[in-house]
Amino acid sequence: MKLAFQLAYRNLIGAGLRTWLNVGVLAFTYLLIIFYNGMIDGWNQEARRDGIAWEYGYGQLLNQKFDPYDPFTLQDGHGILPIEKTENLVPVLIQQATLYPQGRMISVLVKGIEPNQVVVKIPTKLLNESGAKIPAIIGKRMAASANLKEGDEVLLRWRDKNGTFDAGNITIAGIFDSQVPTIDNGQIWVSIKKLWTMTELSQEATLFIANKDYVYKQRSGWFFKSQDDLLKNLNDIISMKKVSGSFMYLLLLAIAMLAIFDTQVLSIFRRQREIGTYVSLGMTRLQVVQLFTVEGSMYSLFATFVGSIVGIPLFIYIAKTGIGLPSMEGTGVPIADKIYPVYGLGLIIGTLALVVISATIVSFLPARKISKMNPVDALKGKIQ
Amino acid sequence: MKENIITIEHVTKRYPVGEGEFTALNDVNIQFRKGEFAGIVGPSGSGKTTLLNIIGSLDSPTEGKAVVMGKNISELNHKDSALLRNLHLGFIFQVYNLLPVYTVFENVEFALLLQNKTVTERKKAVMESLEWVGLGKMANKKPSKLSGGEGQRVAIARAMVKRPEIVLADEPTANLDSANAHAILKTMKTLNKELNTTFLFSTHDEKVMGYLERMVHLEDGKVKQDEIIEAKKTE
Repeated sequence: MKLAFQLAYRNLIGAGLRTWLNVGVLAFTYLLIIFYNGMIDGWNQEARRDGIAWEYGYGQLLNQKFDPYDPFTLQDGHGILPIEKTENLVPVLIQQATLYPQGRMISVLVKGIEPNQVVVKIPTKLLNESGAKIPAIIGKRMAASANLKEGDEVLLRWRDKNGTFDAGNITIAGIFDSQVPTIDNGQIWVSIKKLWTMTELSQEATLFIANKDYVYKQRSGWFFKSQDDLLKNLNDIISMKKVSGSFMYLLLLAIAMLAIFDTQVLSIFRRQREIGTYVSLGMTRLQVVQLFTVEGSMYSLFATFVGSIVGIPLFIYIAKTGIGLPSMEGTGVPIADKIYPVYGLGLIIGTLALVVISATIVSFLPARKISKMNPVDALKGKIQ
Repeated sequence: MKENIITIEHVTKRYPVGEGEFTALNDVNIQFRKGEFAGIVGPSGSGKTTLLNIIGSLDSPTEGKAVVMGKNISELNHKDSALLRNLHLGFIFQVYNLLPVYTVFENVEFALLLQNKTVTERKKAVMESLEWVGLGKMANKKPSKLSGGEGQRVAIARAMVKRPEIVLADEPTANLDSANAHAILKTMKTLNKELNTTFLFSTHDEKVMGYLERMVHLEDGKVKQDEIIEAKKTE
C-alpha cells in the first residue's frame, strides 16, 4: 500500500493541471459544505441563545387555559399562583388591546412584566425610570411599524376583566433592539402592576418565566414548558433547513465525485499502455487497482490540504466578522442582521471523512476494470 | 554447455476471431540458452510478438508448455507471473512505453520500487543503468523532452536496472533512424556481453538481424528455420 501512495503521489504531481483542476473542484466543495453548515450552526446557536436570553429564560410555567398558538385563549388563559410558589419566576400577564398611532388602528398584545426582573434581556427597568402615567417599552420592529419613537404618547384601548373597554395614553419609555420578533412585533411591554390596575386582574399572570434556579414542581392549573419544548419550533425550522441544505451539499458532492469518477474512468482507457507497462514491469493487478484507487482518493487529500490553506484563514475571518444577511422581517424567524458561523470539529472532520470516503469509492469502481484487463491488449491500447 | 533458460515445447496459441479461431503459433518447439543474443524474425502476423508475450508471461499458450527460468508459464497465477516479470524479465517495447509523468530517473527506478529496494540502492542502480546507456546527465528530464533514440535508451536502462536474466525486446528499432538503431543495438550487445543477459528480439528489421547471433525464423506461426549466425558475425 505504501508503494501505491508513493506512485499515486508521483502520478498526480506529474499530471499537473488535470490534478489541480480536480483538487480545485473538491476543495471548493469542501469549503462550501463546511461554510454552509457553519452558517446553519451559527444561526442555530445564535437563535437559541437569543430565544433563551430574550424570551424563554430557563423555561416557562403557563396557565393551563392558555395556548400560545390560540389567541382565543388569551381572554381566560390567566390565573393566580400563590406568591410563595413564584420563587425564581417572573410573572407575565398578556392581554389584547388596540393601539391608535396617528389615527391608525393596530391590534396589539399588552404584556405586563415585573420591571425589576433580570431573567430576560428586555430592558424593563426603563418602566421604573419613567415618570409617565403608563410607561411602555416596545421593540424596534414595533416602533417601525407603528411609527413610534421614544417619548411618544399614543392611545391604547383595552378591556378589563369584566369586558368593559377602557383607554388611556401610554408613553414610550424605551425602544429595545432584539433579534427575537416574537417579543417585538405587535407587542407593548408595561409594568405588570400597571396592567393589573388597568385590567383589574390583580396578581394574575398568563405565564411565568423561570430563572436558572427554578425547580419545577407540579402546580394545579399550570404546566411547565422546558427550554427544549419552547425551542422546538426553532429546532424544527433548523432541521428543515438542514435537510434542504443537505440536498445542496449532496449535489455539490455528487458534482465533485463525478469529476473524480470521470477522470478515473478516462484514466483507465487513456492510460491503457501505462497499465500494460506497469504489469510488464512486474506490478500485480491488485497493485495496479490499488494505485488507481489511491490516486482517486488522493485528490481528496490534496483538496483537504488546499482547502485548509484557503479555508482556515477565510473561516476564522468570517467567524470573527460575521456575514450580513438581508432582512427577514415578518417571517417570525429569529435571525440576526449578522450571522457568525460556527465551525465545529465534528462538522469539519465529518465533511472531510465524507469526501475522502466518497472519493475512494468512486475511484475504486472504475479501477476494478483493470483487474479484468488483458495486459497484452492493454499494452497495445486496444481495450474499448 | 550453457543452461536452457527458455524452453518452448509444442506451443500453440489460438485467438478467437469472430466465430472462428486464428492460430498465431502452431506447435512451436524452441530453446534459448543463458546469454544468447537471439531474435525471432519473420513477417508481420508470423507470431513473433505472441511468442515473446508468452515468454514474458503476459500471455499463456493454448496448448503446449512454455518454461521460463524454470517456471511453467501456464501454471503461474497472476501474482507469480508478476513476480517472474519483476525479478527476472526486462521488457523493451517498440514505442518505449515510458511513463510520461515520471522523469527519466523515476522511469528507470520504477522496477526497483516494486522490489522494495532502499533509496540508496535504487539511486546507485538507476545512475549506473543510465550511465550504461549514456544518459547519466538526463536523469531529471521528462520523456517528452527526449528524442526517439534517447527514449529507447531509457527503456533499455529501465529493462536492465534490475539486472534481469532475460530482456525481451519487441521491435525495439522500429521507430528509430538508422544511426540511433545502431547505437541502441551496440549498447544492448555490450550489455549482453558484460552482464551475460539473454536478449531476445522480435523483429523484421535487417539492422537488428545484423547484430543477432541466432535467428529463429517464424512463418505462419511455425518455426521455419533456426539459424546460428555467430560465426558469420565474427567474420
